[in-house]
Amino acid sequence: MRAGPRVAAAVLRKDLQLDLRSKDRVGHMAVFAALIVVVLSIALPSGHPAARAWIPPLIWVVFLLTSLLGLGRSFQAESEGGAVTTLVQAPCDRGWVFLGKAGANGLALLGVELWTAVLCAVLLDVRWGVALPEVLGVGLLGAIGLAAVGTLLSAMATSARFREFLLPVLLFPLVLPVLILGSRMTAEALAGAEIPGAWWGWLGLYDWVFLLIAYFVFDYVLED
Amino acid sequence: MNAIELSGVEKRFGPVRALDGISATLPAGSIILLSGPNGAGKSTLLRVLAGLTRPTRGTLRVLGVDPFGHNGAAQRGRLGYLGQETGLYGELTLRENLEFCARLHDLGSERVENLIHELGLEPVSGRRVRTLSLGYLRRAGLARARLTDPPLMLLDEPWNGLDTEASQALTDWLHSHRGPGRSALIAAHTPSAASGLFDRELRLEHGRLLGGGR
Repeated sequence: MRAGPRVAAAVLRKDLQLDLRSKDRVGHMAVFAALIVVVLSIALPSGHPAARAWIPPLIWVVFLLTSLLGLGRSFQAESEGGAVTTLVQAPCDRGWVFLGKAGANGLALLGVELWTAVLCAVLLDVRWGVALPEVLGVGLLGAIGLAAVGTLLSAMATSARFREFLLPVLLFPLVLPVLILGSRMTAEALAGAEIPGAWWGWLGLYDWVFLLIAYFVFDYVLED
Repeated sequence: MNAIELSGVEKRFGPVRALDGISATLPAGSIILLSGPNGAGKSTLLRVLAGLTRPTRGTLRVLGVDPFGHNGAAQRGRLGYLGQETGLYGELTLRENLEFCARLHDLGSERVENLIHELGLEPVSGRRVRTLSLGYLRRAGLARARLTDPPLMLLDEPWNGLDTEASQALTDWLHSHRGPGRSALIAAHTPSAASGLFDRELRLEHGRLLGGGR
């Protein structure tokens, strides 16, 4: 295997190994998502048509807040033992290191999305079966976008003094397109309507652009 | 052939000038002591040479390549860098850490096992790195730095935390590492464990090289 894909695969495998070993990051995200969905199930007026209209954007806000919790700790293992030097010395463009890290974050976010979807089905009576392939597609593209932007910003914020503050301040404006498109596409899918092709295109383009930007700037981000 | 060539290398951290116009040439096949008081810029110089920190100004070539240039990535496996931290993941075992590094550099698990044996790390190879004592941590970091059998070692205070036996073993290995095309630049405060090891000394003070580096 060529150096780049080999390094990305090794980083992805190592991050999954760390997540499965400590369970801190994924566990905290799962508990946090569950808490918000439980609060929403209590706060939203049941059976009211207006409440159902609010559910898709609220689900995406849950994804966003939960992903923030996980992304913020994405480089914690690297910063604790100076292990970032091991990644910086990988024998390939450092963009491949980014792809490995973003891949692991994307899988963690997908896991949280599936968990939140199950909670929403049980507690908020969301019927995903109406348009399962569309909803899965939107969830996948949304997770890729959040992982791409979040991994890059998390790496940038790791050595900052106010990283807990800095990450959301940088992340929220940049992922607004994911939030808006994801909410609207989910709403259309749950209403049984066809999602406009342009919306798929915009979400796909967003993912592609940020993956590309992050791949090329990661070299500088990883250096001191 | 020179292992390291530096010309007017400067590194600033805001208003602080950590390296101030360093120019030096270190021939291949030599073991050089990098000395100087705390804050002299030794660690920064090693990090610049390892490609971890981009210099603010100046040019450098390490093993004939600019580490920040187009071909810098391909030669990273030819540098063995050990900083003041181990560069290992605390939640992974020592063996898992070395296997991860081996995968990055496309090396087999035989190399990992050989190093574990050579550095006497068998008793702790299955333990999570965060549970290791300082001495074992330093040895584990050395194992990571030596994994690719690099022709150039960049070591920052490698004797710190090692007991007498491990210190002597490191010195012996550095002696055996010496050879045509194999070099080492070692920052150390008290290199008493390594008397007779160094071919030359470079002394840094306030980010400047004393006495010239050529």
